[in-house]
Amino acid sequence: MQPQKPATRANLYLALGSIALALVVALVWARYDSGSGLILKVRRQVSIGDALAPTIAAAMIGLGGVMVLLQRHAAEQPGLSLANLRFLTRFLVLCAVSFALMRWTGPAVVAAINLFGEGDLSYRLLRDTAPWKYIGFAAGGTLLITVLIADIEGRLTARSVIIAVLAIAALIALYDLPFDDLQLPPNGDV
Amino acid sequence: MGVSDYIWMGIQAVFQGPEAFSILGLSISITIVMVLAGFMLGIVVGATPGLAGPMAMAISLPILISAFGFSPDALLPVMGFLIGVMKGATVGGAVPAILFNTPGTPDAYMTTLDGYPMTQAGQARKALKIAHFSSASGDTFSDVVLILCAPFLAVLVERYLDLPEKTALLILSMAFIASVIGGSVGKGIISMGLGLLAAYIGTGEDFYPRLSMGTQSLAQGFPVATAVLGVLVLGEVFKSLEDLWHHVRADDRPTEPRQSGDQRLHWADIRRISPYIARSAVIGTVIGALPGIGSTLAATLGYSAGARRHARKYPDRVKFGHGAPEGIAATEAANSSVSGANLIPVLSLGIPGNAAAVFLILATESIGGFNPGPSVFKFTREAINPELVAAFGLFTTMMVANAFNWTIGGAIMRAAGVMVRVPKHILLPIVLMLTLTAIYVQETRMQGIWFAIGFGVLGYLMRRVGMSPLPFVIAFILGGKLEETARQAFAATGGDAWFLFTSPMAALFMGLAVLFVAFSLRRPTEAEK
Repeated sequence: MQPQKPATRANLYLALGSIALALVVALVWARYDSGSGLILKVRRQVSIGDALAPTIAAAMIGLGGVMVLLQRHAAEQPGLSLANLRFLTRFLVLCAVSFALMRWTGPAVVAAINLFGEGDLSYRLLRDTAPWKYIGFAAGGTLLITVLIADIEGRLTARSVIIAVLAIAALIALYDLPFDDLQLPPNGDV
Repeated sequence: MGVSDYIWMGIQAVFQGPEAFSILGLSISITIVMVLAGFMLGIVVGATPGLAGPMAMAISLPILISAFGFSPDALLPVMGFLIGVMKGATVGGAVPAILFNTPGTPDAYMTTLDGYPMTQAGQARKALKIAHFSSASGDTFSDVVLILCAPFLAVLVERYLDLPEKTALLILSMAFIASVIGGSVGKGIISMGLGLLAAYIGTGEDFYPRLSMGTQSLAQGFPVATAVLGVLVLGEVFKSLEDLWHHVRADDRPTEPRQSGDQRLHWADIRRISPYIARSAVIGTVIGALPGIGSTLAATLGYSAGARRHARKYPDRVKFGHGAPEGIAATEAANSSVSGANLIPVLSLGIPGNAAAVFLILATESIGGFNPGPSVFKFTREAINPELVAAFGLFTTMMVANAFNWTIGGAIMRAAGVMVRVPKHILLPIVLMLTLTAIYVQETRMQGIWFAIGFGVLGYLMRRVGMSPLPFVIAFILGGKLEETARQAFAATGGDAWFLFTSPMAALFMGLAVLFVAFSLRRPTEAEK
């Protein structure tokens, strides 16, 4: 269900966007960002160059754009509304905050312990040890699930937090406990 | 080595593979256990509105690969599990459709039309039994056609098609998929072009990874699992989350009407629905063998064909749409018979035709040692072709899954009705986190998660503008193969720029590709329907 009716010129915008993308890819990106051109001649031997395949892909996008342009007057075209873009922005911000929390909570806790205690710990050395390896994943994952549930329900409840914690525990049990070779986020990066 | 030797070795590979446990001295192989586990999971997933078989396949894959590794012994248990999920999800989709008027999978929509009226009339268990019988019949028929046709088609392709023809066949398949999926051929072609473009980033034969803009991130290209999971699974999750968010959740907890009367499936019932099952099984198998046409269209065509026959022959019986058992049979036989036939282009040509097939190809690529395509079916006489043994092993796992379906599928299906009560707004954020974790454990870098989110946004935008993401995914998977075949064909023909048109067969394929696109332009668009 959508709160706002999408623009009726959605096909026109999609067509123009596709044609513009096709032109940029074919004339600029594929041409100047490939190691060889469309056709490669080495010692009178002709072969296909690296730029040909992306140029053909661009031609496909352009051709599709022209076809959609022919349907620009169709009624009730599915398209993007401002509400869609607002949702997407809010969602991406939530992802960014959750992933940042996931990435930095573990090292931050270790730094705090080093700051206030006597220890000289390194998260990099602890990242394969419980409970350190779960701190970031649990913090970021719980936030992501809780906020999404709360956002849809329109209120933050203890139930949504408990569900998120249980879900994260289940994911740890599924991906980490049985396997030594799998790393939960963010332990492959730090 | 004769054909029968290969078939026997394939069967043995399944039943005499690594042992999981033994009962009274009888060894039960791990492959059989995995087929059963996948089948049960598939029914549960199919019975849960908001989840789908390909989603479960995608999320299971890294766990399966970690558990079984990359050895040749891993292939049959992993593929057996995924095939079990694929088959189980098809059966499970009918459960919420019949019990709660909510299709578990899109292809079960037509099942609601007759299934739910039967539930309202107190005949829910009977409706489920009809759905199960029809689904298992259609699925088994489709598998038999697959087993008979795929090797034959593959041998024909290897014998008669050279490099230019194979290139033209790939182009024809992609043109066909772009034309038939979704409401607009233009949007299908844009989706395909974007998939090809994404596949070519960070690849190529030159020392410099093309389209990488000099960055290390793009120079490695996009991992297949990240792109596929992003566009197919995350894109759908984003869209469903937004739909839920706008539709501030009302308390629409489903209720089950009181059941009464005879709930058994009698021989008279089976005789009554058999013609509908037979007709729909043929329709579904033909549709399934064509890449890109999904089970939803098969279900619609099967239902319409059944409805016409019913109105003509039995005007006095309960009409389709008012609780006719024949309506459930026609729909379920049609959508279930797509799953086996869908593997015909995968195994004989290496071309995935739907999302489930994409994940099967992804699994074979991850494990290695089995490359779906015409080269699998080389009946070598002196040395054993391990890929051919694996192919017959896969056919055996499909038959094992069918055996589970016939014996215990109905009981699991009825028990899975409880899944419809799981609230979607709680399920989707967990599925999102599950998918992101599945991607990370394969990529082990946060950048992989961001790439997946990026592809998820692309999948979301595609769905919002009415563009199917399936041509994107199929083009992404086939892009590398298409370029490699074209390069080889170009070199083999001595640099002939017209190599796609010089042989009659290649020219025919190219002509058909143009015809499909041109013909699709003439059909009504999504807005005019």
